[in-house]
Amino acid sequence: METRPKIALFQCKWCLYSQPDQNWVDNDLPSSMYLVKLPCTGRINPLYILNAAQGGADGIVISGCLPEKCHYKEGNLSALRQHEEFLNFLDYIGYERSRVRFVWLDLQDRGRIQKELADFEAEIAKLGKAKVLATRTNVSPGGQYA
Amino acid sequence: MMYILEKKNVDQTLSEWSAKYEVYTPQKVEAYSQFLPFTESSELALNEPLNTRYPPKSLFLPQSEVMLKYNKRLNKFDEIKILPEKRIIFGIRPCDASAITLLDTVFDTDEYQDPYWTERRENTILVGLGCSEPPSTCFCTTVGYGPFNQDGLDALMTELDDVYVVEILSDKGQKLFSNFPASSKDQEQSVLNIQLKAKDLMEPAFETENLKQTLDQLFESDYWSEIAESCLGCGICTFLCPTCFCFDIVDEVQRNERIRNWDTCMFRIYSQEASGHNPRPTRAERTRQRLMHKYSYWLDHIDKIGCTGCGRCVRHCPVGLDIRAMLRAASNFEREVVNVG
Amino acid sequence: MPELTTELRKNIEQLLTDQVVDVVIAFKKADAPLRPQPAFFRNLEELEDLEYNGLCQNNLANYLTRYPHDTKIGIVVRGCESRSVNALIVEKQHPRENLYMIGIPCQGILDIRKIIKKTGEDVTGYSEDGDQVSVVYEGKEVNLQRSDLLHDSCLRCAHPNPVNADVLLGEPLPDGDPTIVRLAIEEFEALDRDERYAWFQKEAERCIRCYACREACPMCYCTECFVDHATPRWTESDISQAGTQAWHIIRAFHQAGRCTSCGACERACPMDIKMTYLTDKLNNDMLEVYQFETGMDDNTQPPFASFNLDDKNRFVI
Ligand code: SF4
Ligand code: SF4
Ligand code: SF4
Ligand code: SF4
Ligand code: SF4
Repeated sequence: METRPKIALFQCKWCLYSQPDQNWVDNDLPSSMYLVKLPCTGRINPLYILNAAQGGADGIVISGCLPEKCHYKEGNLSALRQHEEFLNFLDYIGYERSRVRFVWLDLQDRGRIQKELADFEAEIAKLGKAKVLATRTNVSPGGQYA
Repeated sequence: MMYILEKKNVDQTLSEWSAKYEVYTPQKVEAYSQFLPFTESSELALNEPLNTRYPPKSLFLPQSEVMLKYNKRLNKFDEIKILPEKRIIFGIRPCDASAITLLDTVFDTDEYQDPYWTERRENTILVGLGCSEPPSTCFCTTVGYGPFNQDGLDALMTELDDVYVVEILSDKGQKLFSNFPASSKDQEQSVLNIQLKAKDLMEPAFETENLKQTLDQLFESDYWSEIAESCLGCGICTFLCPTCFCFDIVDEVQRNERIRNWDTCMFRIYSQEASGHNPRPTRAERTRQRLMHKYSYWLDHIDKIGCTGCGRCVRHCPVGLDIRAMLRAASNFEREVVNVG
Repeated sequence: MPELTTELRKNIEQLLTDQVVDVVIAFKKADAPLRPQPAFFRNLEELEDLEYNGLCQNNLANYLTRYPHDTKIGIVVRGCESRSVNALIVEKQHPRENLYMIGIPCQGILDIRKIIKKTGEDVTGYSEDGDQVSVVYEGKEVNLQRSDLLHDSCLRCAHPNPVNADVLLGEPLPDGDPTIVRLAIEEFEALDRDERYAWFQKEAERCIRCYACREACPMCYCTECFVDHATPRWTESDISQAGTQAWHIIRAFHQAGRCTSCGACERACPMDIKMTYLTDKLNNDMLEVYQFETGMDDNTQPPFASFNLDDKNRFVI
C-alpha cells in the first residue's frame, strides 16, 4: 500500500485515563486516522462500524473500558455482546474480521493506545486496502437502471 | 405496413442493433424476468406468459437517479450525462408502453419538462410485444387498454408461429425495420385474428362506469379500513406498478450527490410531516390514496384511468390483496350503504 | 386440508360465540391465485371464507402489534408463529392473558416460487390432499409432491409444533432435525471469503427497498425503522450498493435473538432475494454462544437485551 491505511478510531470518552494520552488522540493523531468520540462503547451502533467500512476505512479500532470499570456500569458489556456477534456476522458475509480491533483500556495502561494503533496500522498495511463492503462509490450517472 | 422478424434471427438482430444502440430486453433473473441490457450471453425471456416483474418505467424514471453531482475539489457541479447513447427497448408489453404515455402527462407538460425524462423519451425506440394469451391476473381491457394496445409504441410485434409480425407505428419504427422482409396478406390476416381473439379472452374484471363517483362517495367511509386491514404497507404494489411515479429527493452528502428515489404513498413516512403529524395516519388512508389516485384523481387530471391493468400488484402483493377485488367491493359497499339508508 | 379448516372454523366459532376473544386472526380465501389472505374475524358470518392450507404464507404474529393491549386476540399459530408470539410477549407487545393461541402442528408452508418453477408463472387453481398438491396451469391440472415444494425455512424447521398454544388442532408432529439448518450454514461458511461476499452482493443488489421483508416480519414493529430516519440519516436510501447492503446487514442483525426462522420475509420479497441464510446464521450463533432459542417460552430475554458480568471472561485484553 502506497499511502497509509485509513483507520477509524471509535473511542469511549472515559477510557483513556491519562490526560497526555487523551491529548495525543485529540490533537496528534496521524491524518490517516479518524477519531469518533462517544460517551461509551455501548453507544456504538453496529451501523457506525458498517458506515466506517463502507466509507473506505481499512481498519477500525474500538477502544473502551474494562468490565466493571464502565462509567455507565455495564455499557461495555452490552457493547461486547453486540459487537462480537456483529463481527462474526460480517465475517460470515466475507468481511475480514481482523480489520476490526477492540482495545479495552485500564488505569495503568498509560501510553498503550499509541502502541496499539501503530501495531494495528502495521497489520492492516499487510492486509492491504479493504475491498469488501467498501461500497460508498458514486452511483453511475443516470442511476442504476438507466 | 408490416414486416417479418424471424424468431431464430432475434439474437442476431439484437446484436446488430447493439452496435448502434443500447438495447434492452426482458431477461431471466431467478424466477422472474426483468429488462436488462442485451449482451451476447443474455438469456432472453420474450415468450414468458407474464410480463417482467420489475417495471420498465425504470428505464425512464430510474429508481435512483443522480440529479446533481458536486465536485468538492474543483468547487463546481459535474456535468451529468443522462443518456450516453440511443436506446431500443425490445419486447415491452402494451400495458407498460401505455403507462409511459400516462407518465408523459406528468413529466412532460406544456408548463414543465423534466429533462431526465424527456431526453430518455426522445432517444428511445419502443418495440412492443403483444400478448396473444393474456394471463389470468391481467385486466388491461377492463381499464380501457388492451393486449395489443398501440399507445406509446414505435412498433408492435405479434407472435405468429416462428416469426414476429411487426406493425409499424411511427417513423422511428419505420426506420428501424425498413430493411426487413415484408409480411404476406395471409400473415396480416392471422395477426388480426390473434389480436381480436386475445381481447375476447379477457373478461371484464370489474365495473368501471361510475367507479370514480363510487370511490369519491366512499372517501370518508369504513370501506378503506376494511379492505386495508391485512395490508402490510410495503412498497411492492407501487414500486412494481408501471404508472406510479412518486419520488423523494435526497442529498447523499457523503457522496456529494443529489438523488431522486422512488417513493410510495403506501409508506408511513411518505406523508409524515416534520411536526410529527401524519395526515394519512393508518394503512387505510394510504390504501385510499393509492386506489383513489389511480381510479379517481387521474380521471380529474386527464380523464383516463391511471392503471393499465398489468396485474403486477395483483400477482405480487404478499398478503394477496387484489385491486380488482377491492374495486368490486367498492361498488358493493356503496350498495350496502344505500340499502341501509 | 379441508378437514383442518372445518375444525378450525368450529373452534373459532366457539371462541367468538363465548366471547373469549374480540377478534381472531387467521386466513381467508382471496381472489389472487396462490395467495390466501390474512383475515380478521369478528363475527360468525364472515367465517365462511376461512381458509387454511400450505399456501398461507404470512406470519400472523405480525398483526399482534397493531392492537391495543386490552384487545382479546385469538390467533391461529403454527410452530414458528407461536414462537414469534412468545417473543412478542417477552418484548411486552401484548399481554399473554389477552391472547388465545389456536395451535396447528405444522406440515410446512409451500414456496410459490418452487411451484411456478415447475409449472410456469400463471397458476390459476390449487388444492392439496396429504402429500399431493395439484395446481391448475393453462387450464390443465398438474400434480406435484408437497415435499418438493416446501419453503426452505420449513425444510430446516426444528420446531413445527406450536409452543404454549391454548389448544392444539391435530396430533403433535415429531420435532425437526436441528442439524439441517446447521448444514446449510456450514455449506455457506465453506465457501471462501470472496465467494461469500459475491453471493451476498448478488442477493442484496437486487433489492428494490420496498421493505416488504420488514413489513412481513412480526419482530419488525419499530415505529421508525433506521432506514426511515431522516435526521440523522443512518444509511443511504437509494438502491446503490452501499444502501442495499446496509439494509440487508442491519435488518438481519436487528433480528439476532428475535427471529424465529419463519421465512416470512423471504416469501414476501418481490425480487426473490434470499435472506434466511443471514438470519439463520445469527440464530445459530445465539444458540451456540448463549444457548438461546427465540420464543421457546414467554419470559426469557434475548441475549442482546440481557448481559451479565460472566461476560467479562470474554474480554480479550
Ligand atoms: S395499479 Fe396494478 S394493475 Fe394497474 S397498472 Fe398499477 S400495477 Fe398494474
Ligand atoms: S398511487 Fe401512490 S405511489 Fe402511485 S403515483 Fe399515486 S400517490 Fe404515488
Ligand atoms: S403490496 Fe399488498 S401489502 Fe404491500 S402495500 Fe400493496 S396492498 Fe399493501
Ligand atoms: S418454519 Fe415452516 S414448518 Fe416450521 S413451524 Fe414455521 S411454517 Fe411450520
Ligand atoms: S422485500 Fe426484497 S426487495 Fe423488498 S426491501 Fe426486502 S429484500 Fe429488498
